[in-house]
Amino acid sequence: MATKNTYTPKLITNFLILSLLAAFACWLKSLEIETGWQKAGLTTFSLGFVLLAAYVISKMLVIAKLPLISGYIFAGIIAGPYITGFLTEDMVHRLRLVDDLALSFIALTAGGTLHMQFLRKRGKAIVLNTTFLILVVFGLVFIAVILLANFSSLTPDLTKAQLMVFACLLGVISVARSPSSAIAIISECRASGVFTATVMGVTVVMDVLLIILFTLALAVSNIILTAGSAIDYQTFMVLSLAVAGSLLLGVFSGKCISFYIKKIGHDLPLFLLFVSFGVFKTSLWLNHFMEAHFATSLHLEPLLICMSAGFTVQNFSKTGPMFMESLDYVSLPIYVLFFSLAGASLNLDALRMTWPLAVSLVLVRITGIFVATWFAGILNRDPAEHNRTAWMAYITQAGVAIGLAQLAQRHFPEIGMYLTTVVLAVITVNQVVGPITFKMALNMVGETGKE
Amino acid sequence: MKITFALLIIIFLAFSGYHLSFRNFRLPLFARQFYLSGTEFLFLGLLLGPQFFNLLDMETQKGLAPLCALLLGWIGLLTGFQFEVKKLRRFPAEYFLAAILEGCLTLASVFFALYFTLPIFMNISNPIRTVAAITLAAAAACTAQTSLVLMSPDSIGRRRDTVRLLRYLSSIDCLSALLIFGLAFIFHPLPISDGSWVEALGWGVLISLGASIGLLLLFTLFLSQRRPENELILIVIGMTVITSGMASALNFSPLLTNAFVGFWLVNLSRDKERIYQILLSIEKPIYLLLLVFLGFGLRIDSMYVIFLAAVYCLYRILGKFISGFLVTGMARELKTYPRKLGFGLLDQGGLPLAIFLDFQQAFPSDIAVFVTSLAILAVIYNEFLSPHFLRRLLTADSK
Repeated sequence: MATKNTYTPKLITNFLILSLLAAFACWLKSLEIETGWQKAGLTTFSLGFVLLAAYVISKMLVIAKLPLISGYIFAGIIAGPYITGFLTEDMVHRLRLVDDLALSFIALTAGGTLHMQFLRKRGKAIVLNTTFLILVVFGLVFIAVILLANFSSLTPDLTKAQLMVFACLLGVISVARSPSSAIAIISECRASGVFTATVMGVTVVMDVLLIILFTLALAVSNIILTAGSAIDYQTFMVLSLAVAGSLLLGVFSGKCISFYIKKIGHDLPLFLLFVSFGVFKTSLWLNHFMEAHFATSLHLEPLLICMSAGFTVQNFSKTGPMFMESLDYVSLPIYVLFFSLAGASLNLDALRMTWPLAVSLVLVRITGIFVATWFAGILNRDPAEHNRTAWMAYITQAGVAIGLAQLAQRHFPEIGMYLTTVVLAVITVNQVVGPITFKMALNMVGETGKE
Repeated sequence: MKITFALLIIIFLAFSGYHLSFRNFRLPLFARQFYLSGTEFLFLGLLLGPQFFNLLDMETQKGLAPLCALLLGWIGLLTGFQFEVKKLRRFPAEYFLAAILEGCLTLASVFFALYFTLPIFMNISNPIRTVAAITLAAAAACTAQTSLVLMSPDSIGRRRDTVRLLRYLSSIDCLSALLIFGLAFIFHPLPISDGSWVEALGWGVLISLGASIGLLLLFTLFLSQRRPENELILIVIGMTVITSGMASALNFSPLLTNAFVGFWLVNLSRDKERIYQILLSIEKPIYLLLLVFLGFGLRIDSMYVIFLAAVYCLYRILGKFISGFLVTGMARELKTYPRKLGFGLLDQGGLPLAIFLDFQQAFPSDIAVFVTSLAILAVIYNEFLSPHFLRRLLTADSK
């Protein structure tokens, strides 16, 4: 009864806020927008609207014990192009820069939450979990796609070779996780402990390995689809260089950040924003430069650079706590913005078109994750409670997987369209379900509120 | 060429970092003024913009439009927060009238001077001619306290009353400037009125009032519960972005609309102190980013810009001098102050820069770029001239 009394006035206030926001939005939408200045204004308004609406909706969903990021994602879905259409696809595209900035910021946080001593302690668990997740999830999804292809209306036009490539790429993409979601949930639950550290470690390591695995999958797919072609070793050399370069650049950026904190120390959130933006733009510029001048696609990964920078500040300087405090100070608007935009860009059309295949793949992926984490836990002699719940922590997928699907589409246009559609549908389900299960897992192992 | 500029940018960043870290470092007056006024960030913007590195190309700038709106809104809110009626009442009514009159007189004199000067040097016709003159005049009326703040207590000495009046005038005179700057937006057709400018003005006032009341209600609903600081930050950011976005979608000034909201908040909200602390916490970074944004569009490709900037600066000095002269003769209480009071009101500060950015965003054209460039140069001239004039005023006063 006491709970009801506490929640009711808040619910009414939140409902009034949402109504007023919606009224403003409807009014502005009904106006004739002509100039670029007005268009920019409408986009800006939409951004503010999504920010506040997502915050309010997440507060309302707290009653149902759902994680805050689920609220942000739902708000994005509702405001997005497929339901109310308040945020059009063009607007979501225009806000991509803000989205990328937020992602770099989140990657800095991801790196900062990794403590060397924890990683050393949990090294074996991380290696086992990562290895099993890659092998089992890839294997199961690959087999499932081959088997399900006969029953799916989406893939009848594909030849056998194309189907193999399709299954191979989908298998690799299924391995992808969402570091940003993991960070947001851990941060919201103030979670800390063995289970949390393992999940974070696996998520970050997986993100690095995924780039390598995906390049490998592209090379193999190329061999399958092109008769007489062989593995191009130069690709692997460039890939190794890109990963090493990203990590090194991250270390350098991390050192610069800790120097700034030590010597200057104020306006830190602004400085970190500058670093995120700088890293993002510089890596893009360098990628273009290498392609234009050396005909080499050296793809420095902004996410990897930021993670490595955050890790360096946390573990190789004394400025880690101040760094994390500054990130935390501005993290809420960034999470709200990032996840609501992620929600708005979820493709409900793709889900409607391919839902039987998508739901089957989601179930197969979850089975793979369960088997992998359970075996890894048994081998590492983790507590039974952890082994039973670990699968719930690895379901979420987001931007990385979409990015990989789009990259694959560019390489293999003949199967790319099918791949992107299925991946978008699978991600829509995983992104909605994943945060909820992860929060449940953290509650079940008793690591919430320990930070 | 690019390497040279890369080197330059690194030097700028290093020096700016140095300036941020060692506040008491000794540099010659010229360099100190340069760094303390944040002029280096203008050049940083210039270097990053399309003219040099093109790191922030036009596409990127479009993507950053919400950030730009946030900057304008933030400064607008801060400006609105200066007008807390309870605090204003602590001073005699004559002071308030003097501040408004000083702002209006400067604005009127600079407006008329520029309205007739601009067509001599550039191909400019109405309505942009009026809009440009209003913008420049509104910016000219604003005064900052930079030089007053930088003065040592010894140099203030017995002139405490004069300094007190100068501080009061410089915090209030932007009111008339900002309101009249809002008039420039009459020339932007409102999305709901096709009639005359009188009708547009009526609609403009009605919409501004209606929208700010609605936004205030929204703010009040958010603040009806006690919220932790990180959530309050999100609310302030969200509301600022919404207000700015709504203003530009309605073809109105984000700066002015947010100033309205700020005014209502400071006078009606019980959380005003917490909101003000949030606004202040990133005030400096906001101004630095504003300078970088203005730097993108800076074009100094003709001597006319440099010359016109000097002319504008001169008009402003004359305007301030005349208005100061008239104001000090207005009432008995004000007659005790030096007649050259206007010499102490030459610092322009951050608000005019926000006005220029607002103008540049709302009226995008080559003329807007030209006008903004000359105005920014004039602000820099003012930053260098104002300490000398202030010293002169205070020396004369002590005699």
